[in-house]
Amino acid sequence: MDSSVHLDNVVMRFGGFTAVQKMDLRIHSGEFFSFLGPSGCGKTTILNMVSGFLKPSEGVVRIGGEDMTSVPANKRPTSMIFQNLALFPLMTVAENIEFGLEVRGVSKAERKKASDRLLELVALEGSGTKKVSELSGGQKQRIAIARALAVEPQVLLLDEPLSALDLKLRQHMRTELKEIQRKTGITFIYITHDQGEALTMSDRVAVMSAGRLQQVADPIALYRDPKTSFVASFVGENNSIAGTVVESRSGEVVIDAGVLGKLAGRVTQPIEKGQRATLFIRPESFQLGSGLDFTLPTILEEVNFEGSYLTLNSSAADQRTLSVQLAANQYHEDMIAGRALSLSYNSKDAIVIAGEASDV
Amino acid sequence: MFSQLTNRFGGPLSAALIGLIAIWLIGMVILPQLLMVDYSLKPNLLPSEEGGPKDQYSLVNYATLFGNTIHLSIFFKTIWSSVLVTLLTLIVSYPLAFYMAKVATPKQAALCLLLLLIPFWINEILRTFSWYIILAYKGPLNALLLGLGLIDRPVRFLSGDGGVLIGMVYAYILFMIFPIYNAIESLDGNQVKAARNLGAGWIRTHYRVIIPHAKPGIATGCIMTFMLAAGSYAVPALLGSPGSRWFTQIIYNWFFEGGDWNQGAAYAFLLLVICIGFIGLVMKLFKVGLGDIAR
Ligand SMILES: Nc1ncnc2c1ncn2[C@@H]1O[C@H](COP(=O)(O)OP(=O)(O)O)[C@@H](O)[C@H]1O
Ligand SMILES: [Mg+2]
Repeated sequence: MDSSVHLDNVVMRFGGFTAVQKMDLRIHSGEFFSFLGPSGCGKTTILNMVSGFLKPSEGVVRIGGEDMTSVPANKRPTSMIFQNLALFPLMTVAENIEFGLEVRGVSKAERKKASDRLLELVALEGSGTKKVSELSGGQKQRIAIARALAVEPQVLLLDEPLSALDLKLRQHMRTELKEIQRKTGITFIYITHDQGEALTMSDRVAVMSAGRLQQVADPIALYRDPKTSFVASFVGENNSIAGTVVESRSGEVVIDAGVLGKLAGRVTQPIEKGQRATLFIRPESFQLGSGLDFTLPTILEEVNFEGSYLTLNSSAADQRTLSVQLAANQYHEDMIAGRALSLSYNSKDAIVIAGEASDV
Repeated sequence: MFSQLTNRFGGPLSAALIGLIAIWLIGMVILPQLLMVDYSLKPNLLPSEEGGPKDQYSLVNYATLFGNTIHLSIFFKTIWSSVLVTLLTLIVSYPLAFYMAKVATPKQAALCLLLLLIPFWINEILRTFSWYIILAYKGPLNALLLGLGLIDRPVRFLSGDGGVLIGMVYAYILFMIFPIYNAIESLDGNQVKAARNLGAGWIRTHYRVIIPHAKPGIATGCIMTFMLAAGSYAVPALLGSPGSRWFTQIIYNWFFEGGDWNQGAAYAFLLLVICIGFIGLVMKLFKVGLGDIAR
């Protein structure tokens, strides 16, 4: 079955405020697709348009190729897991799960069978007669998933479903969600402001900022080849150094970064000579010493031991602080604040993006 | 509860608080009621007969009602009409309360509240009297309906119970709307969305999700409206016809025209018993406790 979702030039305005800028996006059938962006960037608004709670100001939402404009929320093949779960507190766990089937006129016996099967899927066998208030946070989470799956949706919409859980449980639920998605083959549209969540679970991620799509790519491409400075700074950590392009070869440019000298990095889109640009280097791309393509002399400010790795903050010639990540076994006694420290990187591990990034 | 109070206010102050409440309850509520019960159990005597052989407790005053078929039928009609008023008010109020709580923008809701409240700045007699004018045989409503060609002869709205029902629904609508509005307002909007999302149409969303949540508010509204309707004097006095007398009018007559306070007290007490019975019935029907209602 085709359960793709197509946001066909969709725009959402609230009065004079545009919450979602013109967006053309195809989410494939059976894909685990995430929207990642800071809170308030329009993620929930997108889900509301897909589920039918909001009518786009412009454009069309298509599910399985079909125009959804005139299909009301209760007739769409979508199912939503709400940010606050929105379980029905006055119904039992089983009644919650069976609600969607009750609506569809499924017989009591069939409903019971379905809820038993779903409770098993979410590992909560035998909790059907419990009240919602008797469940723990993680259990409520699973019931919300079971309730949403009960109606056999083509598309499951998840609005930051793990944000209320503690870290341990959150990591556990990530694996479980991925597992459920694989078992059911349903298209998942997942919303989060947590990049870790988006990167570990998704087939593809759309990064958003202020209602605008920044980049749509698979997690590795997003991390390695960010297309905009927003993506470079929002996804993972990054050091940014601004400068003017002085040389532009295919796949690589050199920028003049003032006192830091000339530095080179990869480009995915060519940038012309003379333009302002920003070079991004990941903390883990630095090496101690001067063994790699480019070397930056710095003064060590701070060393943080984080278990399997170390993070150093080191101040470069222009006073900017560079963050460096090293394997824990790289530690030695000389790492004391105030010492000189050379950092080097390979130009293929840095990326240059046109324009000047505001410091993030 | 007392320990909560002492924790918050300290011993002497909470004792004073509880004392004041007790004085108020005993002095203003319980004693007068007991006095009424006492009255109701005694015959109506001349001052000279008090303390004499006739001054004895009996249920005669209560029995009067059951011996008087006219009074008895007015009694039951009052109860039945009050139930009707309650139902009508509920039917009008629920959609309005839902609209204000969940559909309207905050501005629209505020406007609605204002429009509902403003008429209540005018006192009940005047408001009721304006209905008397509107519903009159040669009044504006009849003129309008005639003008629109919907009727070809004026309707006597005020001759049956119709006028009384309309007047009461209007007089007590706020007491129904507010508790329901409060209850629906407190419902998480995502609950409604979740029901819709799972495929429920509007009717099912109301009776499976919204109404169960609003039940304590609905019960409170029904109880208040019923009590007010059953105890109403001004509305039936102004809008009623001789054929649609209210039980309160009979009570009034015993007290102030018949001069028989003992008989009036017995009648009033019977009405009170029925009202309390109604509260119990509604609470049972809606499966709500006193705590839910007081919220
Ligand atoms: N119904 C609405 N009316 C007006 N503004 C809204 C409405 N819903 C959302 N917004 C605005 O749109 C923006 C995006 O909201 P939302 O989609 O909830 O963000 P996110 O889910 O990414 O945190 C916010 O600035 C929010 O204030
Ligand atoms: Mg949101």
